[in-house]
Amino acid sequence: MVLEALTGTLAGRAIGLLGPNGSGKSTLVNTLLGFHRPSRGSARVLGLDIVGRSREIRAAVGYMPENDAFIGTMSGIHFVRYMAELSGVPAGQALERAHEAMFFVGLGEVRYRKISTYSLGMKQLVKLAQALAHGPRLLILDEPTNGLDPIARQRMIQLVRQVRDSGETRILLSSHLLRDVDETCDEVLILKDGRIAAIRNLEEERRANRRFIELETVGAAEAFGAAIRRLGCECASFPAGRWKLVMPESVGIRDLYLIAAEQSVQIRRMHYRRDSLEDIFLEAMGSRLKVQHAHN
Amino acid sequence: MPITKRSYHAYTGTVTGTASRFGVLMRYAFMDASDSRITSLIGLACLVPSLVVMIVIYVMNNDAVRLLIGDTGSPLPINEKFFLVVMHVQSWPALALTAWVGPRLISADMSNGGLPLLLSRPISRVEYVLAKMVVLAGFLSVVTWVPAVLLFAFQSHVSTKPWAGSHLHILGGMLAGSWLWIAVLCLLSLAVASWVRWRIVATATVIAAVFIPSGFAGVFNLSLRTHWGWLLSLPYMMSELWRRWLHAPPSPFMRAQLPTWSMLLAITALAAVMVLVLNARIRAREVVRG
Repeated sequence: MVLEALTGTLAGRAIGLLGPNGSGKSTLVNTLLGFHRPSRGSARVLGLDIVGRSREIRAAVGYMPENDAFIGTMSGIHFVRYMAELSGVPAGQALERAHEAMFFVGLGEVRYRKISTYSLGMKQLVKLAQALAHGPRLLILDEPTNGLDPIARQRMIQLVRQVRDSGETRILLSSHLLRDVDETCDEVLILKDGRIAAIRNLEEERRANRRFIELETVGAAEAFGAAIRRLGCECASFPAGRWKLVMPESVGIRDLYLIAAEQSVQIRRMHYRRDSLEDIFLEAMGSRLKVQHAHN
Repeated sequence: MPITKRSYHAYTGTVTGTASRFGVLMRYAFMDASDSRITSLIGLACLVPSLVVMIVIYVMNNDAVRLLIGDTGSPLPINEKFFLVVMHVQSWPALALTAWVGPRLISADMSNGGLPLLLSRPISRVEYVLAKMVVLAGFLSVVTWVPAVLLFAFQSHVSTKPWAGSHLHILGGMLAGSWLWIAVLCLLSLAVASWVRWRIVATATVIAAVFIPSGFAGVFNLSLRTHWGWLLSLPYMMSELWRRWLHAPPSPFMRAQLPTWSMLLAITALAAVMVLVLNARIRAREVVRG
């Protein structure tokens, strides 16, 4: 059994599916598309049951698989049009949508070339184009930046963000790269060994992180600490004048500077915590390991 | 909106019905198959025997022409045996067409992982295979039962005596025999093409899959002194079934006769194996790496 005890609801605009290799990400995607029949349990995509209404789900979904997935003998435009027609777009509109999708992903100039002659980056982009051509309500991207160089990767991430920001299509992005998920998603499901290790709302985490500040100070440490605690901040002090603090909503950065001035403390460095997803991921992996150790 | 505008927007137009998506599969399959000069050449070559047979029928029914070309003997009878030869002459070139067209319909989808994409659309695996089969059956019909029916009609037309009414069993036999042959060829070529990804290798394998078991059948029969080995030979079984359905006399070289049910059972078993192969291979499975 690859997936087990998956219970949860994902409702974000862009949902990241994270996990190490072999954690069941692609299996989950394939199950949601109806390629694998669940031995027990149920799931709904866009409110539709994956067993009984997989045809409707597939009509509403655009899918970009992880591996090579194209018909090499076809030109890019022909291929994307074919896929759009199979999703239910009438032939005339499918051709128009195929042109639009090819230009959108940046393959407008090479759209009449056979796909077998495309570079790896172009093949990834044509996979994205075919997934978008019929204007899906949900776009499922399985490792969309696989094998891309940094520039092509950035381009792919930018396209995914544009689709997300259009507000017309929800995204489910499966990846083992934290950065891809961090840059595009507002909700994350972390899988480990086919089980849910964590479900987090990244937007909320980011908002919370804006309240989490690390400081390096020089000066009267104890008095400074007492003053910021009186403001309602939770804080912890570390050697060499380093502080970690969580500010309540009512407290601003300016308040910290005012207290520092009152206490004659110099703030040498200040930054927000930024590696939230990595923390979540490591925590999720760790918690699963702890659970396993406990069972053993 | 200009197509070159680089922004994303959802599709809000009309959506076609399920049946028309089956039509889309067939249309693209037909384009793939016919987009080759070799397909056209093989198709035309398959029709040449029918043209020759038509000329023979015309000559045999026209005493003046026979005299003109110096044929003073008794005319070749246009009967069950004649149409059995017609079926043989048409059906084996059809195998060549199948071996060429069948793999073209599937190999391209299989070789670069296009199948998961196709099957992630609102179509089923059965619809996918059926659409390909219908296209292939269409190609094969043009070179098998359609010319056979036309030749039957032509003979009925040019015959100086009433002919069609007393030979309707020939028409039924040709239709049944051709459709059985088409069904077997469609299943065989699609199953082989789904298994062997390289198109040219698949083409060779289709031909080999028809003839190599016949060799084994001969060895089996000789070594075990039986005639049941012919159940491995598709050419033998098809020839025999055609002969029986056309009510043609048995060949003097073929002493052993297998019961019709056993041959139909063997062909059904072969078809079942092909369906199992298609079921195993035509899947929207991704290679799960992570």
